Amino acid sequence: MSLATASYLARRAAQKERVRILYRRALKDTLNWAVHRHLFYPDADALREKFEANRDVEDIELIDRMVAAGEATYNKWRHPDPYIVPWAPGGTKFCRNPPPPPGIEIIHDYGREDND
Amino acid sequence: MASALRSAILHHVRVPLSRTLILNGSRTTAVRSMSSHGDDHLDKQEVVERVLDVVKTFPKVDPSKVTPDVHFQKDLGLDSLDTVEIVMALEEEFKLEIPDKEADKIDSCPLAIEYIYNHPMSS
Repeated sequence: MSLATASYLARRAAQKERVRILYRRALKDTLNWAVHRHLFYPDADALREKFEANRDVEDIELIDRMVAAGEATYNKWRHPDPYIVPWAPGGTKFCRNPPPPPGIEIIHDYGREDND
Repeated sequence: MASALRSAILHHVRVPLSRTLILNGSRTTAVRSMSSHGDDHLDKQEVVERVLDVVKTFPKVDPSKVTPDVHFQKDLGLDSLDTVEIVMALEEEFKLEIPDKEADKIDSCPLAIEYIYNHPMSS
């Protein structure tokens, strides 16, 4: 049965990781929707309450279904224009000024010719 | 006559760019010499102070227990969701974007300090 066997523990650990990643994305999304901090804090507290309400569920199948439902809700509520740090993929500065390939240099002589 | 003298002097004075690129030998491949980003690499003490400040101002944390080698769940008695919140606060403090898988592994202060210190874009 599903007592403290290794596969059960591995499955629970994977579920916990899914829950943490879901919480992280949902929190970032909450910040995207509620841009101002005074609106963000109550929304973040409400999100935390939703996660805390299901804290003591033990049935593995039920946990799987709840996490899937949570991810579906997250996908439905994703912000169309999230804030991404500029240099990260998806940000505005990503790949903007890639470093030049090595060995190529620019000699800044500003068009000065030798008979000047 | 004067122009020949001038060109001779200028020929002497002209320094090709290849020599000026040997500023900081280990970092020239990673950092462009004239660009104004990426050269403000933080030093370790500043990273430690800022990380500890962020952790201390977390509402569920007792500030007197926070040291640079504290584990969020074992020593501070926090939850895994609280750890997620702390990592998000650190991301906002240092203007980083940490991928989900790596953010999940940040579990304690020394790990966070190491990660932020070694990240090239932290500021």
